[in-house]
Amino acid sequence: MPILRTTVSLLAAATLAVTVAACAPSKKQSNSNASGNDATLTIASTTDVVNLNPLLGNSRTDDWVTDLMYPRLLTINADGSKQPYLAKEWGYTNGGMTGYFVLRSDFKWSDGTPVTAKDVAYTLNTIKTQNPKGGVVNGFMTNMVKATAVSDTRVEISMKRPDSILVPEVGFWTVIVPAEQFGQHNPVDQFTNSSNWLSAGPYKLTSIVKGQSYTLTRVTPYPMAPGGTPTVSKVVYKIYPDVNTEILALEKGDVDVIANALPPAQVAVLQKQSGITLEKVPGLGFTHMTYNMKRKPLDNVLVRQALAHAVDYNAIRNVAVQGQAISANSSPITPSLAKYADPSWKEYTYDPTLSKQLLQQAGVHNLKLNMIYSMQDPVIAAWATIVKDDAAKAGITINLQGMDRNTYLAKTTSGDYDIYAGSFAIMDEPVSNMALQYLPDGAINYSQVNDPKLTSLIEQAQGTTDQSKIKSLVQQAATYVRDNVIDNIMYVQNLYVAHSSKWTNFTIKPSELLSIVDPQSLANVKKSG
Amino acid sequence: MPPLAAFILKRLGRAVLTMWFAITVTFLLLRLLPGDPAVAVASTNMDAGMRHQLLKEYGLTQPLFTQYVKYLDQLLHGNLGQSFTQSQPVSSVLMARLPWTLLLTGSALVLTVLVGVPLGVIAATHAGAAMDRLVQTAGVVGQSLFVPSVGIFLLFFLGLRLKLLPIGGAYDENAYGAGWYLSVLQHLALPCLSLVLVSLGSYVLTMRATLIDSLGEEYCLLARSKGVSERTVVWRHALRNALLPTTTLLGLQLGFLVGGAVLTETIFAYPGVGRAIYEAVTQLDYPVLQGSFVLLAGTVVLANMLTDLAYGLLDARVRTA
Repeated sequence: MPILRTTVSLLAAATLAVTVAACAPSKKQSNSNASGNDATLTIASTTDVVNLNPLLGNSRTDDWVTDLMYPRLLTINADGSKQPYLAKEWGYTNGGMTGYFVLRSDFKWSDGTPVTAKDVAYTLNTIKTQNPKGGVVNGFMTNMVKATAVSDTRVEISMKRPDSILVPEVGFWTVIVPAEQFGQHNPVDQFTNSSNWLSAGPYKLTSIVKGQSYTLTRVTPYPMAPGGTPTVSKVVYKIYPDVNTEILALEKGDVDVIANALPPAQVAVLQKQSGITLEKVPGLGFTHMTYNMKRKPLDNVLVRQALAHAVDYNAIRNVAVQGQAISANSSPITPSLAKYADPSWKEYTYDPTLSKQLLQQAGVHNLKLNMIYSMQDPVIAAWATIVKDDAAKAGITINLQGMDRNTYLAKTTSGDYDIYAGSFAIMDEPVSNMALQYLPDGAINYSQVNDPKLTSLIEQAQGTTDQSKIKSLVQQAATYVRDNVIDNIMYVQNLYVAHSSKWTNFTIKPSELLSIVDPQSLANVKKSG
Repeated sequence: MPPLAAFILKRLGRAVLTMWFAITVTFLLLRLLPGDPAVAVASTNMDAGMRHQLLKEYGLTQPLFTQYVKYLDQLLHGNLGQSFTQSQPVSSVLMARLPWTLLLTGSALVLTVLVGVPLGVIAATHAGAAMDRLVQTAGVVGQSLFVPSVGIFLLFFLGLRLKLLPIGGAYDENAYGAGWYLSVLQHLALPCLSLVLVSLGSYVLTMRATLIDSLGEEYCLLARSKGVSERTVVWRHALRNALLPTTTLLGLQLGFLVGGAVLTETIFAYPGVGRAIYEAVTQLDYPVLQGSFVLLAGTVVLANMLTDLAYGLLDARVRTA
């Protein structure tokens, strides 16, 4: 009978698939030297690991996993200020022509060899010369000539000219890899780092189930853990591509932490849930709209001002972001960067009548513009209609163009838009960020601005290492950006992550990149009960 | 040439042609997508020069025809290429995932048949009765179901509330030996059930309709008049003929199930090829996408070819058609 044959064939195929799927793994020998708290911390993420080579830039989970093995030179506080990590001192000498890092001497790779300045120099020189794909660090190295290990604990960077960005940005964004191991691979971005891991962090990868989980086990000694011993024996990253499934897994107790930022709507729901604790991760980036200044009439400041006054920012923060954001005071130096922010900056008022007057002054009638945004960003997709409706009250027609991420990126790159809406996750270093955003050749110059005055202010700030001068120049540049609506910075979103209330003692760091899962946090976390 | 050999050759030729068509369309469609893999990297420091360099490394600055010829040549040598983002051969990336997708779609297909045939028979033999109406209503409802909503409902109800089955993954990393197989089955249950629920409706309704037709045929009347029991008429005579169209549907449903695996594997965090496709789309990893489609198209084409061949073996009229 055909049914019988079909069924038998299908059963055979399924049986074969089960057999091929994998033979049942046999139990591995447990680590008899395990000490202290033997709990396992399971962390959920919505993105899978793409590549375990930390010199490449791929997914957020890549960073979380590799950060637990490869130390950064510096870390950051909620206000963006740099803090020691592998480097205990850093700065410039030789009239700003040489940058330096002084390293701690107690960091070791998991094979027992110390982390030295040679590893740091190798990492920096490799990034400078090979520019691994997708990495961000090379962009900060324009003025770097070469890094040299002058001793086991001191690295010096010779520079073409003084550059205030280089040391702090390279210090924060670079993760240090073992020169001995990575140096055997050339070009380094072909190295997948998929086995025989070395770690100088609190944990080391020990097993991978591709697409499902990544297990790291404790490494001792780790100098930033209590008594040199990280507090949990295993950290497991589990991948749940759908955020709803991820939340169900947390509610059920299958995972202990959700590391990615929760959608605003889910925050309110989970806040009421017993047994789950939400942590507020301070935002260090911002969400903005930029007006394409290469297109008429957006090259007219009056038109840009009219647009800026045609948005109800409070409504956006309260409705679309559900109160989980603060005003950026319409400045690219947001209140998060307290050291640089000027308290006198005020947000553009929502005033459709003023918008109409400004358009009349500019001689512009029936203004019609398109606005692009990524549908993968649900928050922006939620407030785009508010922008459209508000603008209509000022007589401006905005055609919303929500699109998939890659189309959006393609349009962004080619400058094919009137209004661009998007977010930056981390804006930690004002000079660096302004250079990227507002210099004519800046990689994220979405306003397409080419303004000699603004360029001069930014370049002056870049070329000095005098902190008071930098602050003054940065404030002048930010005021110029704000007054001329070169960028419309709308809000700083505070992110929320969730964990089981059984776990305590997380260290909260700004942005989704670090949040509560950075190495120092996970080396000190505790399980109660 | 004997008719059977000619029939097999013809079907093989069709399969090869279908594969070539699928490969070509996939190749061209990916390149019609907005953006490119360098843009998808989206590094804030990537300038135009770096972007061009990256595209050159990926071989995407060559003329389209050259890329196409190179790709076909690669495929003929059994090489699916190198993943842009994972720096690994595509075959390694996919082979780690394929068994899970085969397990999921294979078991969903088997269950669909095992449940669908009896339900179709029950409905057809009780045509017009309450049981038939019930099966028909359930079938129509099943056809209108959508994997994500069914998936989340099952996860919430059976996974979270009743705690009967695990939420996400393919197996428990701490399970070993026989426990590992049990864990695989437990993790398979919800995604499989989800696929069965959304594909069962059309199978049952087709089965019912064709069986009702068969039961009205003269050979069934003859069998009844000879005193053959109704049970034998249904299961021995009518069902054999009714199964031919449903076998065709089964081949078609394999394509649906393979496509549905993208959504199912995403919702259930199941680490199959569907998930690899979902991830490769966001990164515009052309080689992984092309490799996945070749693999999945190959599976569907092979299944359909086998169905055709089975048809030919079962029914001499098909061989000569």
